[in-house]
Amino acid sequence: MTINLERRSPVKLKGQPVKTGIREGWQAVSGYARAGKGLHIVDLSHFSRWDIQDKRLGKIQPYGDMIPEKPGQIFMEPNLLIGRLNATQAVAWHFSELKPDMPQTQAFTDITNAAAALALTGPAVFDMAEKLCALDLADPLKTPPFLVQGPFSHVPCHLWVLDRTDSGGCLALTCSRGYAHDMVNSILEAGAEYNVEFAGENMFKEW
Amino acid sequence: MKRLNQLPTFRIQPGKELSINFGQKRCRGLEGDTIASALYANDVRIFGRSLKYHRPRGLYSLDGECSNTMMAVDGIPNVRAENTPAVDGMNVKAQNVFGKTPDFDMMRFMDELSWAMPAGFYYQTLHKPARIWPLAIKHIRKAAGLGILSPDFHLQGKFDEIYISTDVCVIGGGPAGMCAALSAADQGLRVVLLENRPWLGGYFEYRPREYQKGVPFYQRAWELAESVGQTPTIRTFKNTAMIGSYHNNLITAFQRGNKSDIFTERYLEIRARSVVVATGCIERPLLFENNERPGVMQIGCAHRLARTWGLLAGKRAAFSVGHDLGLEAAIDLADLGLDIACVADIRQDSYDSNLAAELEKRNVPFLPGWVAIRAHGSKTVNAVTLSSINATRQRKLSCDTVVASAGMTPVTGPVILPGGKLKYDNHTGFFLPDTIPPQMHVAGRLLGLNNPFAIETSGLLAGLKAAADCGKPVENKLKEIAENQATLPGPTRGTKLVTGPIKGKETFICFDEDCTLKNINQAMHRGFDVPELIKRFTSAGTGPGQGGIPGHNLPMYVAETGESPDRNPKPTTVRPPLVPVYLATYAGSNHDMSKRTPMHDSQVKAGGKMERIGVWNRARRFSSDTSARKEIENVRNNVGLLDGSTLGKFRIFGPDALKALQRVYVSDMSKVAKGKVKYSAMCNEDGCLMDDGIVVKIGENDYYMTASTGRAGQTIEWIRYHTRYDEWNFHMVNLTDAYGVINMAGPNSRKVLEKVTDADVSNEAFPFAGYREFLIQNVPVRAMRLGFVGELSYELHVHSSYMQSVWDLLEITGKEFGIQKFGLEAQNILRMEKGHVIIGSESEQRTTIHDLGLGFLWYRNKPEAKTVGAFALKDTEHQKGRLKLVGFKMKEPGTRVPKDGSPVVDSRIRGYVCTARYSWALKEPIGMALVDDDLCGEGTTLNIYEDACKGKLLSAKVVSIPFYDPDGKRMRC
Repeated sequence: MTINLERRSPVKLKGQPVKTGIREGWQAVSGYARAGKGLHIVDLSHFSRWDIQDKRLGKIQPYGDMIPEKPGQIFMEPNLLIGRLNATQAVAWHFSELKPDMPQTQAFTDITNAAAALALTGPAVFDMAEKLCALDLADPLKTPPFLVQGPFSHVPCHLWVLDRTDSGGCLALTCSRGYAHDMVNSILEAGAEYNVEFAGENMFKEW
Repeated sequence: MKRLNQLPTFRIQPGKELSINFGQKRCRGLEGDTIASALYANDVRIFGRSLKYHRPRGLYSLDGECSNTMMAVDGIPNVRAENTPAVDGMNVKAQNVFGKTPDFDMMRFMDELSWAMPAGFYYQTLHKPARIWPLAIKHIRKAAGLGILSPDFHLQGKFDEIYISTDVCVIGGGPAGMCAALSAADQGLRVVLLENRPWLGGYFEYRPREYQKGVPFYQRAWELAESVGQTPTIRTFKNTAMIGSYHNNLITAFQRGNKSDIFTERYLEIRARSVVVATGCIERPLLFENNERPGVMQIGCAHRLARTWGLLAGKRAAFSVGHDLGLEAAIDLADLGLDIACVADIRQDSYDSNLAAELEKRNVPFLPGWVAIRAHGSKTVNAVTLSSINATRQRKLSCDTVVASAGMTPVTGPVILPGGKLKYDNHTGFFLPDTIPPQMHVAGRLLGLNNPFAIETSGLLAGLKAAADCGKPVENKLKEIAENQATLPGPTRGTKLVTGPIKGKETFICFDEDCTLKNINQAMHRGFDVPELIKRFTSAGTGPGQGGIPGHNLPMYVAETGESPDRNPKPTTVRPPLVPVYLATYAGSNHDMSKRTPMHDSQVKAGGKMERIGVWNRARRFSSDTSARKEIENVRNNVGLLDGSTLGKFRIFGPDALKALQRVYVSDMSKVAKGKVKYSAMCNEDGCLMDDGIVVKIGENDYYMTASTGRAGQTIEWIRYHTRYDEWNFHMVNLTDAYGVINMAGPNSRKVLEKVTDADVSNEAFPFAGYREFLIQNVPVRAMRLGFVGELSYELHVHSSYMQSVWDLLEITGKEFGIQKFGLEAQNILRMEKGHVIIGSESEQRTTIHDLGLGFLWYRNKPEAKTVGAFALKDTEHQKGRLKLVGFKMKEPGTRVPKDGSPVVDSRIRGYVCTARYSWALKEPIGMALVDDDLCGEGTTLNIYEDACKGKLLSAKVVSIPFYDPDGKRMRC
């Protein structure tokens, strides 16, 4: 018997998707109806994420030369983010539509399925984040992009501060996949006063 | 009551009316009124009755410094009417009143019985004979406490929270606080400014006196507030009371929401690099007989009532003050139409002679060296007796208002809480900060300053010091401002008088607790000579206002009248929350974070009864039958599907990965063969079971392992901790959420699997304890042959994103083989029939693997230092007196199943039942228990005690386990 085995994101946004496509079994939403210019929440769970661990991270091939030197730093180029977590660990996050092949060296582990990944973009991102997180994401001594590890709505997260301006910014976060439902709910609740809306991945890519 | 005509300092909107209900009375107010001002405008003078003596209480301060105006508002007790905005339609009720209105209280006779309730009354009386106490305590409890909260009352509203990180936190939005904020912000720093009132300005904000030529104080307050508002790096939180201050500059506060806010109250937790405390001063009450009678109020209360809300405190007022603010208020209120009977000033000199001259101009009698000694009137004030300080002369004046204040007292709570120390200053008469916590600075009136320019400059200086804490190069500017500060007037001499010549029987030092000077004298007479102890013995200062009213006077009075040779007043302590706050505000929005498996929604849809187990939501069963009989029998006879996704899953790899596994697992992990699963256990240093799971080898120096659901969160740290000194080269990845787990169990499970994969899953190709990787359609699966429930079963580890699809495929495919879901309850019974343990159910903190019959897992030939718990396992292997796991059945047929956790007893407790259920396979109750080792022999009788069994014990006998398929043929077939 053959049925179509599709992949499902842990994040369920209740908006009305207008542009969708199936990519590597995932349903990817590029845009939602009525996505205005306010604060947006975007599901990024379908993009590939790899854990990279090695005693000598800088020597790892490929990517070694792109891995930032210090924990908290991010290497950013179109469709790729690499964040350094600690002395021996980094995370690579791909945003290309074609899923890249993960290098078959032991240092790499595909962790795409391990986490719920969200982006928050638009104005008041950090005002909203302040309601859920005691970490100083708006620290002027830190220039985006940078990565912080810590609790967001009480749940351990990787917080990727990708952009921060006077008018808002872009914060991507990943947490254990199982928390996806409650994480989205707590963001929607905290973001209600900022009129948080659902948006497709284009909103994130165009930020 | 008629309001004053429009004043520039008004905070009310005369055109916008509202009404509130006070008992049977409908009170009209204006937008901008507080509950207290609205009631006052409607001639309400008695707001409630006091705690012990049921004395009438009225408006005294306007910042909620005492419980006088705590009222029940819309069912919520102890709402501070002075700080709470009036809202149209509000229902307000007086508290502690036995009767229809606070004007007539049936318990007012308690005031006449005050002689029977001396200080320490509760400690001394009603204890002997002892049988009185239980009766007395009931009535004391009924009478004590302020406000009544219905047990089923549900607090309405939205409670929010916010965690702020900032460079500088300024507490207090008065002139010093605003200057500090502006000065720090000017250095490019992020500043948070907290202000308790709904507007900035502090004691500048309502005063018409000239700040400088042509500029009144209120206008200066507006200018500063405007500058603050225009500085984008200053975040101002008005209506925000600071409630806690802790080490490392953690400040907590709560904000009362207004109409435009989405919250009712919001909890703030602020982490700052530096803190400026500019909380200013409150008034130090003047103590005299009946000093809390409605009509007696503080200077600021009378003045702000007029200037902010357009209400004159009464028709004729007598002032008894010890500060120039009193003279200033008397002049202004006289100009606004209040008949001022006289202004008595504690000070013989050192008052502002210009103000005295202004009083004279208005024909207001000014009496330096005089003080109020008694307020008259049974419910509200109708006269006051004044006396010269030396008690040689007295004068009685009729009036309906007594404006009384002994002087000022600094608000030092934010400095004390994180460990700052206060010291009495003889010049100002204040308790001034002597030791201030690091990265904390004080400014303004808190330092005893009175000159407005000195106050503002002290704010600028504190802001710069805070900027220096944040690493800003401000040395030169600091020096310049400090030099400027030195040219300005310093702290002014303050009054020290607490009370005039009085007896003190009806002189209240603490309004909240109805504590009089006589009570303080009684305590001192009993030998208490330290204010902190007197405070506890008399309960002065332990009410909702904490030290607000008695905080300064108590130590001053004790030092002045006590017998201790040490005449230096000793301050009492304060504790968070400094201001009463709802527990709901502390709780905030209370996001309840739990985890869901990839199957959650479909399990709920299928009727799954979900339960929270640790952080996870899991399906207990899929029908209302709590025994889960159908699910159990289906697994035994056909095939069932269990969502096991909560299982901990990890990858561990690297050249030293095996060493790490050897360290934490008791077995020889070098024997993990490719294509096989290895079951083993982790123990702690005491040999007690911490976790169990399987390990498979997925490559060279590359392993995949599972942990129990409850331990998944700690496994990586456990391994790291136990290898922390070894510098081994290995790495771990937590894959718990990356893989979903389908446990397909039952005699038909192979038939289902064969239909969905091309891989050979026959018993020969994929035997028991085997591990295989194959595809189900195009989905990669990690499959293990395990037998937790005692049947042929497969544990399929599938990428979480594919989990629902693969599950659906199996359900569709398995329909012809009777496939059905089963939940945790079924699994629990199935595995118990098989004698398999669940950590936490059949083990506790002191249970070793030997106690559970799992000693065979321990590989003794590993060097002991390399296995966590190995020494203890050796020591406990044959240790006597341990609790051992046994299986049991009930002795008498038809006996019901004992409850989990019931103790096993003879003449003492000998163990307890771990799990017991009815076995549908065996058709009788079975269970497992941890019992003393001498009870382990087969056939031994176990007497089981249950709650409410009335001495009738259940009788069981020890039997061997497993109960079901002891040879394991079914899971190996």
